[in-house]
Amino acid sequence: MNGSIGARPDLSAHAFLVVEDFEGMRAILRDMLARAGATRIVFAADAAAALVQMERQYFDVVLCDLHLGRGRNGQELLEEARQRRVLPPHTVWLMVSAEKTAEMVAGTVEARPDDYLIKPLTETLLYTRLARQMEKKRLLAPIEQAMRAGEPLKAQRLIDAALESASTHTWELKRLRADVAWHSGDDERARAIYEEVLARRDVPWAQLGLARIDVRHGDYATARARLQQLTAGSRAYLEAHDCLASVLERLGDLAGAQEILRQALNISPRAPHRLTHLGEVAFRRGDLDTAANALRRGIELARGTPAQDSQRYLTLVRVQLAGGDREAAMATLSQLARDHKDQADVRLVARAMEIPLRMRSGETTVAWALAQELAPRLRAGAAVLPTEVAFDLAGPLLELGDTETAAALMSAVVGNHHEHPEYPERIEALYARAGLAEEGRALVARAAREAIEIMDRGVRLFHAGKLTEAVATTRASLARMPDNARLLLNHAFLLIAGMERHGHDAADAQEARTCIERARRLKPEDRRAGELLARMEVIGHDFVA
Amino acid sequence: MPESGDRLDITTFLLSAIHDMKNSLGVMVAFLEDALAAGEQAAPARARTAQALYEAQRVNEHLMQLLALYKIDQRFYPFDAREQVLADLAREALARVHTLARSRGVTLRCDCAEGAMGWFDYELVYGVTVQALHNALRYARSQVLLHAHADADGSVEIRIEDDGPGFPDFLLERDAPGPLAIRHDTGNTGLGLYFARVVAHLHGSGTRRGTIHLSNGGTLGGGRLVLRLP
Repeated sequence: MNGSIGARPDLSAHAFLVVEDFEGMRAILRDMLARAGATRIVFAADAAAALVQMERQYFDVVLCDLHLGRGRNGQELLEEARQRRVLPPHTVWLMVSAEKTAEMVAGTVEARPDDYLIKPLTETLLYTRLARQMEKKRLLAPIEQAMRAGEPLKAQRLIDAALESASTHTWELKRLRADVAWHSGDDERARAIYEEVLARRDVPWAQLGLARIDVRHGDYATARARLQQLTAGSRAYLEAHDCLASVLERLGDLAGAQEILRQALNISPRAPHRLTHLGEVAFRRGDLDTAANALRRGIELARGTPAQDSQRYLTLVRVQLAGGDREAAMATLSQLARDHKDQADVRLVARAMEIPLRMRSGETTVAWALAQELAPRLRAGAAVLPTEVAFDLAGPLLELGDTETAAALMSAVVGNHHEHPEYPERIEALYARAGLAEEGRALVARAAREAIEIMDRGVRLFHAGKLTEAVATTRASLARMPDNARLLLNHAFLLIAGMERHGHDAADAQEARTCIERARRLKPEDRRAGELLARMEVIGHDFVA
Repeated sequence: MPESGDRLDITTFLLSAIHDMKNSLGVMVAFLEDALAAGEQAAPARARTAQALYEAQRVNEHLMQLLALYKIDQRFYPFDAREQVLADLAREALARVHTLARSRGVTLRCDCAEGAMGWFDYELVYGVTVQALHNALRYARSQVLLHAHADADGSVEIRIEDDGPGFPDFLLERDAPGPLAIRHDTGNTGLGLYFARVVAHLHGSGTRRGTIHLSNGGTLGGGRLVLRLP
């Protein structure tokens, strides 16, 4: 090492955003950056102002204090900026903080800054970290770009090339490589990388990666053992806690899941997705107070951010109804409509959920009038109504005598989830309670038969070599069953098969991609989504994966 | 989400007080460094300013160590061992003590390969290194050496040596982990060494754990602290 302490990098070509609530600290950072030649420095005193700036222009570096006074903190700002995609792939995000936090180190990829600077901040610290991270981004930005563009094969090739040529960042590259493999459904490759890494160092992310693969293969017991070891080692591995809670839930250990989520929230309390998870688990256990508190807090934290989610409000309404607190449930519905005033479908749901509420209060006439008013829109939108809302509404509708709308809602549920293990039973039980057991059984049987027929029609046409007809059939069926993951993937498969035969088509590719992404959201554990994406990428390229 | 209702125990106050004290000390350290860098004072005033800086940094380090030890003990320290550029650590640690060394007329030497990559938690190892450098500066006559070396597998050896009188026997005798008995006569609480041992032990590879070793002699003839991380 030479004797020069903290050699200054040349920062004159870069655009900086400094997010810092203290004026004194803003001045210190400005001076440090300016001494290295930086001239393009924009300041923001809070998260909201920072987002405005990030939407206006691209920054090469964001220097962000973790604590931003009132309002959202630096961690929440980072997550929102990533979700909103206002950061280009090469942007370096440095979090400035008095201490290291669990989120910075062991959160999800979206939640981790590129690096963190622990105060007291010195020039040496700032310059070395900046130089290292900018160098790393030069290597990683094209990979990130390929991943954003939905080109996992290209990303894989770039990573492999980087692994061969670069001697630094090999761990980071391997982590990425395994991640891309996992997202492409190539579990064997991902597993091999994780195991190779673990043979050298006991890194938590590789253990977590293996646990995810176990989960995808339904091996929950192995995943649980692995994750319990991780979380016992440190309470700071937040992502491992979240994953363990899901696994415990699947294994039926709701009390265990709730406890793990509680522990993770003790370490990192401002996480809407974790609060929602706790709310759902507590609700399933009948712990209504915990459920309501967690959901309410989740709603507050997420309001006005991309993490805002109507499902959270609806779960809270169900919790409040289960506790007999109809006034609170009504207030939550008003809140739901207010917070989503630009979304007609959510507003419809908020109004429709008043039907079961009014029925509970004995206001049958009000409920009846409301059902009368909303029925046509509910029937028309049955296929895209959230499943649990359809269940919430079907019982009251049957009670009110509107069997037509109830049947439309329940048929749509079966169509969207024709392989679901529990929905048919729930529908039949619902009809039985209304004294319509026979009708319930008939409805389920009919809807399931139709769904399978629709599915088969596309497959048969494909096997008969009638690809164009097959595509037209699945496309038409999707209008009726837009949330059927298998149908979505079948449709994407047919579009891809068409392109493999006749060459790349931009519109078909876009349609296939939309279907795959939707299916992935509905059934994250299905490997076919990733496999189809990789297959699609080969079309129109001259390389072979 | 509080653990159980509004239970606010003494720990909560201690933790927030430590944070607050760290902030104040940070400001003090910056002022003192500025004063020394400006170099306007007469020699006796300079010496006292340097002493004040040393004490402020020492307290700051102790607070950092207490905080980290508490989190490690409670299993929520965000331990983040990963591949790191060893020379960056050496550079930052030296930059941290550089003002103090100059004011005391002690030469800082560094021996670290530019491309060496080590596997460790940056903040913890930085804490141990800076504290060892401060200690060496306190006792050195004219020289302090920081030697940092990493093997291809990421294992690390960091050595801090000085040309002072060396460590007293009672420190050399205690090579086992665990806190030292508090010695009120010397004002040595044993915190620094305990912290170093805990940090070393947190680092591991397979069945091997990191170690701390104190000895006298070495290349400069004074005290020598060696931190080895597998």
